[in-house]
Amino acid sequence: MIVGRAFLVRLTPLLACIGLLAVWQAAAITLHNDSFPTAVEAIRAIPSILGDKDALINILASLRRMAIGFAVAVAVSIPLGLLMGRSRAVASFFNPLLMVIYPVPKAALMPIIMLWLGVGDLSKTLVIFLGVSLPVIYHSFAGAKAVEEKMLWSGAAMGLSAAQRLIRIVLPAALPEILTGCRTGLVLALITMITSEMIARQSGAGNILFNALDMGEYDTVFAMIIIVGAMGIGLDALFERIRARLVRWSEPQLDIPLSFS
Amino acid sequence: MNGRTVTTDLLLGLAPIALLIAAWQALVSFGYAPVTLLPPPGQVFTRMIEQLLNPTFRQDIAATLFRLFVGFSIAVVVGVVIGLVAAANPAVNAVVRPIVRVLAPLPKVALYPALLLLLGFGHESKIALVAADALFPILLSTYYGASTVEQKLIWSAMAAGTPHREILLKVVLPAAAPSILTGCRIGLVISCIVVFLAEMITSTDGLGHVLVTAARTFQAVDMFVPLITISLLGLILNGALEALRSYLLRGFPEV
Repeated sequence: MIVGRAFLVRLTPLLACIGLLAVWQAAAITLHNDSFPTAVEAIRAIPSILGDKDALINILASLRRMAIGFAVAVAVSIPLGLLMGRSRAVASFFNPLLMVIYPVPKAALMPIIMLWLGVGDLSKTLVIFLGVSLPVIYHSFAGAKAVEEKMLWSGAAMGLSAAQRLIRIVLPAALPEILTGCRTGLVLALITMITSEMIARQSGAGNILFNALDMGEYDTVFAMIIIVGAMGIGLDALFERIRARLVRWSEPQLDIPLSFS
Repeated sequence: MNGRTVTTDLLLGLAPIALLIAAWQALVSFGYAPVTLLPPPGQVFTRMIEQLLNPTFRQDIAATLFRLFVGFSIAVVVGVVIGLVAAANPAVNAVVRPIVRVLAPLPKVALYPALLLLLGFGHESKIALVAADALFPILLSTYYGASTVEQKLIWSAMAAGTPHREILLKVVLPAAAPSILTGCRIGLVISCIVVFLAEMITSTDGLGHVLVTAARTFQAVDMFVPLITISLLGLILNGALEALRSYLLRGFPEV
């Protein structure tokens, strides 16, 4: 009985997907608009996109840029955030700068970065890097700040150096919060990827989506929306599994990311 | 915290911004970057003031702010209501939770083409995108705040004879206020970002449109101006929300 219930709980997101698609289908049939295909029509268009070799290469190239941007951002932001959390001087040094940068849409920097670095992979990866790093820095900062002083004192009393304390006490203690930041960053990486490709129309998933919109191929538009949405949900679910493993000991927090654009 | 540490913090905080501007100026004056690609900071700020006095640019700012406010307000109302009801009612929760789980990680910008096709190229599609993007952080933090309200508070209110329906408004909502306002703050930053992006994609006015027009004509100076403007707007709105927060939360223990 308990097994059945747990199974049902895991199934609910799937049911929600089916429900949303059903609502879409019903809306499309009642509105009966040329530019709003039904869910079934959109799903039928998916195989032709994924079957097309060019499109597939484009989408994979997008994912590669996203992975590189995300990995570099995480590698840089976590140490910076932890240092900010443990040192008042570092925090007050970086905080105002980050506050100024925060409300700037990172993908909007794309036109300027394109002027300097061209439309290639480098500028798109850089924009993804910028988009991911802020939430990761902030969450690492908050996590490191909340570490209990007593643990650090005990560590110091047992002869750990400052660097060792940072790695062996602060990092694990802040890990749940850091991973929440990474999860937000992951959704953000996807969003920045799409928008950067939409602005630098040259390749990638965003390019396919917005080109289809310009050409009036509405089936493709909605099929791409499903594909990108599935990527978001899939990556998020995957990350959640990894997160659950790494921080099995911690209290479960919000199980849904607070996504930023 | 005494006055001295505040001053030191302020000086430390201004240092990287000053360094950034100095490095920017140095890049231009030593000829590492051509002026067409990277205009000197002085030129950008002069242009910024020039534009702020220009009525057309102010209309663009007004258009952006209008979309931002309407979208953000819709997100606040819908998010707080759904969040509260879902926290109070297990049946609603069972429906809302899986839907939110699916929709929250969905990149909303990818929905924009669909919104364009459905709602047209005017204000509506942009407002809808802003609302969709700002909704989830507000909804989630409301839900989180409302479901962690101390049970004793609710029991005391019931013991004092508060009707069941009023508990939600009189006990749960105020108790969840700090969490809700945190969500609103995240939602506000998101709104700033999204409204700009939506205007960059398709628009005839607004700050995002100013940037795209400048980019098409390779006017580097004009590309910096809208970016700095949106950053300033974000700071001002954030400050306003912070002031509202400390007004609404007066009497709360420091959070």
